[in-house]
Amino acid sequence: MGKPARPSKLGSVSEPPGPVAGSLRDPEHRVSPKAVRLWLLEALIAFVIFAGGSFGLAAWIPSWSWLPEWLSGNSWLVPVVVLVPGTPLLLIEPFVRYAVHRWELSGDVVYARSGFLTREWVFVPVSRIQTVDKAQGWLERMLGLATLEIRTASHAGSSTIKGLDYTIAAGLAERLAHRAEELRDDAT
Amino acid sequence: MSEEPPGLKLSPKVLLIDPVRMLPSLLVPLVGVLFVGGFSSRSFGWAAVGVVGAVVFAVVRWATFSYRVADDRLEIKRSLVSRSVRTIPLERIRGVDVTTPPMHRLLGLAVLKIDTGASGGGEQEGELDGVTVEEAERLKGVLLRRARAARAEDPQSAHDALPDAPPAPPEERVIVKVPRRWLLYGPLSGSYLLTPFALAGGAIGLAFQWGDDLGFRDLAWDASQWLWQHPLHIAGAILVLVLAMPFFAAVMYTVFNWDFTLKEREGYLVAERGLITRRSVSLEARRIRGYEIVDAIAERKAGVVRTWAIVTGLGDSETRGQLLPDVPRPLALDVAAQAVGTFAAPLRPHPPVARDRRLFRAIAPALAVAVAAALLGVLTSTGLWWALVVAALVVAGLGIPLGHDRYRSLGHGYDGVLLSVRSGSLRRAQAVVERRAIVGWRLRQTWFQRRAGVLTLIAGVGAGKGGYEAVDVSAEQAVGFPAEVTPEWLAPFLRTPD
Repeated sequence: MGKPARPSKLGSVSEPPGPVAGSLRDPEHRVSPKAVRLWLLEALIAFVIFAGGSFGLAAWIPSWSWLPEWLSGNSWLVPVVVLVPGTPLLLIEPFVRYAVHRWELSGDVVYARSGFLTREWVFVPVSRIQTVDKAQGWLERMLGLATLEIRTASHAGSSTIKGLDYTIAAGLAERLAHRAEELRDDAT
Repeated sequence: MSEEPPGLKLSPKVLLIDPVRMLPSLLVPLVGVLFVGGFSSRSFGWAAVGVVGAVVFAVVRWATFSYRVADDRLEIKRSLVSRSVRTIPLERIRGVDVTTPPMHRLLGLAVLKIDTGASGGGEQEGELDGVTVEEAERLKGVLLRRARAARAEDPQSAHDALPDAPPAPPEERVIVKVPRRWLLYGPLSGSYLLTPFALAGGAIGLAFQWGDDLGFRDLAWDASQWLWQHPLHIAGAILVLVLAMPFFAAVMYTVFNWDFTLKEREGYLVAERGLITRRSVSLEARRIRGYEIVDAIAERKAGVVRTWAIVTGLGDSETRGQLLPDVPRPLALDVAAQAVGTFAAPLRPHPPVARDRRLFRAIAPALAVAVAAALLGVLTSTGLWWALVVAALVVAGLGIPLGHDRYRSLGHGYDGVLLSVRSGSLRRAQAVVERRAIVGWRLRQTWFQRRAGVLTLIAGVGAGKGGYEAVDVSAEQAVGFPAEVTPEWLAPFLRTPD
């Protein structure tokens, strides 16, 4: 692997991640602050499942007769291996995501950024939009959030904006659908 | 156009095919009935009832199936159990495929498949299994012509439909007829190379699965035990299979690509191929948005490539979108230029750090295996581990030229109309797509890529695979390339120089 060209941005939570892609500026709007709670809850659920699974495995392994002694005798290592890197990731992820996830609608183009360890920037011109959906899982409904799914003829040209305030998502969906209707130029 | 034409039936000759086709699925129950009945006359009676039932079923299905082209739609009517009418509006028809499997060909029949570009599997597509070849050609002509006429009435697409062509002569032009000696290029692609192993595996599986019923399970079991005790025979068998690889690959390739002919007919590109099952695929020319050229290492040495068309709304594009099998590169480029255009710009290289990443990926896994095996070798002092070390080191060594070649493959470019991305080494693929087919851009950066300062740029295309990737471009390229191809989309988000 090449030399690290820049220090990892993972730890710096307060400062939003810089413009990695050269001269590109950040999208204008952040998602709803409540999205932090959404991601925290989601991460917590995953964490509980993994932690439970690892403890279960640790309790089960000593009964496996086909494992050599030095492996089955040290089964307490399993939860350690899972929880030691897992816990900081759990705590960091929601805040990093809140710093990364941004969106903007300008010049009839939707520009959205998302991701945690892998970042994505998506540009979707409104004229190419086929459908605009807003979706709400039960966690999102609890928090009054919504996910906006903007689809074109290509999965690579489609965008999903998570953690939007419900009223903002609804308004944006309405605006996009309306504008897409006006612009409809069927290139595909 | 307002009189209602009567419904047409499939050729009755299909009745000769249907029961034969049902045989494999009937075989097991029939044999079962015979065994259970102890081959008594009663059991033969029941088996006969089964066969007669299959024939009657086929007849009833044939008698209750009809189709017709009425006004602006194709109706396929079934009333076997419940009545169902599938209506396909002609304007939605994007292509008509005609295939002739062996039995159909013997009887002069064909299978007509109507492609509507619907993504929901086969649900909305129409199939007429067992029309005569003449009827298939007639229907294909009628459907495609009317489909275009129906679209022409639609004012939105009127400008790119052809002017009302007189329906008289279906003019046809052969673009390429691939000479048979080029079939020898087939095994170079590396496809079908595993055929002998698949066949052997299938045969072994069958022997164990059916051995029980047919009473030679013990025999198969004994044979495998005997083989297990004579490893030299296993090695010999594997060697034979390996030697058979290119031969089988050549045979399979020949069977699928026999007399590959690409024609142009009334706004459609028609690709015909196949030795046993003759297949004809029609691609609507105005829906072709680009092409993809693929070559494996051996093909590159021989100077041959395979070509696919990138078509909007084409399901199963991997098999149906093929424009050309292995042909010399200049010919492939010439055909692609006729269908799409010539890509007239150099490919720009990706930053050197991309080479490091390619090399790391090509070498590191094998090296890790070598280190692990060496560790185990030291710990257990077993010679076998050291053999693995040597093998892994050889693979790691091969990774050096592989990584360099994978880096050399990387590139992207834009000539004002067409853009292109290329990647891969063992299977190198270059996609060339029209600018107007782009429906969006996506930049992706993994944690490792962020440390290396590179990104993956994906052009979202409403055709073919949906997205074509330029792997490991620099940050400047990642923004600069989309901004160059579609400046109006990126302009609002570029940092203004202060």
